Amino acid sequence: MSKIVVTGIGIISPIGNSVAENRAALQAGKSGLTSLELFATRYATLLKFGEIKITNEDFKQQLGVTTKGVTRTTLLALYAFVQAIEDRGFTNEELQSSDTALINGNTIGGMSESENLYLDANKNEVGSEYISSYNLGTVNMYIQQRYKIGGVVNTFNTACSSSANAIAYGARLIKNGFAKRAIVGGTDSLAKFTINGFNSLGILSSSLCKPFDAERSGLNLGEGAAFLVLEKEEDAKGKKIYAEVSGWANTNDAFHPSSLSDNGDGPYLAMKEALEIAKLKPEKIGFVNAHGTATENNDEKESVAMKRLFEKVPAFASTKSNTGHTLGAAGAIEAVFCILNLMHQEVYANLRFEKTIETTGLTPVTEYTKMNLEHVMSNSFGFGGNCSSLIFSKV
Amino acid sequence: MFYIHQSSCISHQPTFNEVDLEDLKPIENNLVHAIEPKYENVPLGQLRRMGRALRMGVGTCMKLLGTNKVDGLLIGTANGGIEDSIMFLNQIHDYEEGRLTPTAFVQSTYNAIAGMVGMITVNHGYNATHVHRGHAFENVALDAAMLLKENPDNCYLIGGVDEISVKNHRLVSLAGWYRHDNVSNADLYKGIAPGTLPGEGSAMFIVNNKSDNAKAKLTSLRMVNSFDENVVKEQLNLFLKDNPGKIDLFLQGENGDNRLLKYYTACEGLMTNETTAARFKHAFGEFQTVSALAVWLANYVLQNQKLPEHFIKKNSTTEFKRILIYNNYQGAQHSFMLVERVK
Repeated sequence: MSKIVVTGIGIISPIGNSVAENRAALQAGKSGLTSLELFATRYATLLKFGEIKITNEDFKQQLGVTTKGVTRTTLLALYAFVQAIEDRGFTNEELQSSDTALINGNTIGGMSESENLYLDANKNEVGSEYISSYNLGTVNMYIQQRYKIGGVVNTFNTACSSSANAIAYGARLIKNGFAKRAIVGGTDSLAKFTINGFNSLGILSSSLCKPFDAERSGLNLGEGAAFLVLEKEEDAKGKKIYAEVSGWANTNDAFHPSSLSDNGDGPYLAMKEALEIAKLKPEKIGFVNAHGTATENNDEKESVAMKRLFEKVPAFASTKSNTGHTLGAAGAIEAVFCILNLMHQEVYANLRFEKTIETTGLTPVTEYTKMNLEHVMSNSFGFGGNCSSLIFSKV
Repeated sequence: MFYIHQSSCISHQPTFNEVDLEDLKPIENNLVHAIEPKYENVPLGQLRRMGRALRMGVGTCMKLLGTNKVDGLLIGTANGGIEDSIMFLNQIHDYEEGRLTPTAFVQSTYNAIAGMVGMITVNHGYNATHVHRGHAFENVALDAAMLLKENPDNCYLIGGVDEISVKNHRLVSLAGWYRHDNVSNADLYKGIAPGTLPGEGSAMFIVNNKSDNAKAKLTSLRMVNSFDENVVKEQLNLFLKDNPGKIDLFLQGENGDNRLLKYYTACEGLMTNETTAARFKHAFGEFQTVSALAVWLANYVLQNQKLPEHFIKKNSTTEFKRILIYNNYQGAQHSFMLVERVK
């Protein structure tokens, strides 16, 4: 069976507006977590966020968006999408071909326009410009129509593992002959809905998050987007090949709507099944980009699951200490980071880690390190028990 | 692609327990509301807190999971628990982002239905929620087809569900997609106005690769994204060439909206005189995942070899072996699905 490889990448995150900027920030151990400057909420200065300091108006101008009703979630996606297709080099004909798929994962859609949604749903006699933009399909509806993408178009939602599943779906479409190439990724923007939602669960931190630290105090929400172009290795001759997407899995923890089981069943099965798809033994994984949200529940249960699977837990870290938790975008953003790990044979520090969780005894990577890497795993877990793992391999 | 073994459906018609499609159930206030049954297989404590889409989705799933064990759950929903989403948003607004309770937030996530069913039935398998509006259920079907190529012995629960509640009705209505004059569902296709009747419902299926005792087979599926009726027609032509043979029933998603009629006319034009043409949105209303209910109806026709008069647009064949479903959502997302009788 032919390998599925990555031939284009694009990213915008709180630590940079391009692949190069993101890598530089990761190498330097830079965090993009701050008080909010552009987004009005009661929590703007009370909590820390991974905010991208570009206004919607500036995005629209840069991206040439003149259509009404395009929300920030779509603008972030478009920004990363354009990078990815330019990086791979697409002709219009290829984009419009019936074998080019477009798959996105997100959790907020146009609900980032919370004030307009409130007015449209309760008060307005005439709909605002965002009236048809609120549900999650809005992002890919816009991108499909703008570029006339000709193949399968889909939006995946499995909460915080949405874009990990979007990547897996794209890879499977190619494997099963339903597409020749797939542009896959995820996006989410900061929104009152998610800020207040996560706050109501008491899992947002007022300080900078400390993934895997014994004294972690919750997560910081972030925003961003990333896209990858996937195709078969034999179709990618003469193109730049970043990595192979070698494994994927989507399982359910089947325990609780918003927290992981004590044994980390869902995470364990996701990692195990991804290894089976990749036909790899656990010891072949050189590094894990952990889900690592820095909540009490996640980091402990994810550690338990890693200890169950790996005889010796490989080097691991959470880049959410840099970007915050970008929800539906996290799987795609962290996929790009895994590709950087493989390309440059390096891993980045899990920032602010001080003290090992007593029950698990695991210590993440705490400084920038050069490392020989063949296979890297990325974990993404979400509400509803949704757990996904992806494996990227060096080509 | 795969065989359909069992199904369950909640709609405005009696489809959940004793199925009776003979006489069309009339509507009130321009709403094709689903008749919710007693949910006997859902734990009461959980049921009480669920919003409408969650109840209908979980209820239709649990009816099938009482007797079947599946290897994964795939749900299509364009809006998830949108009423809960807006309820939570209103709380954010009304309490000026004060301390809120998380129930509405957690239950409104789009993946709550698949997550809840996974939790109740302790199913650790594949668990997916596809949300791409008028292609949400179609992507579920495609995903299931791929899973069954990858794992030929497996069995999956798949389906589609969406709710029409006060708030999302308001949104779609403000966007100009619903009729404002009083329309009876029996007369849905007589009007020549823009807009249609909002509907809701849920249809779930147990699918696998085994033909033994199967009720129907979903043979082929194609999605098209275009506002151009000529492109849609051309794609249907290709679809028919890829799936040669007589179409006994053309089940189409006409919804009385005169802006969308051109797509249905173009596609129906490709059918021969030997094909019976029928419609279903007067019975189920219009919503993004109604194509799941169309598959349920096709399944019913293949089983019962009859379709009540109120569905029929043009009568021809009396034996139904191959049914072509054509649906479109707001003129942007089109799909063709071929459902066949199993010998």
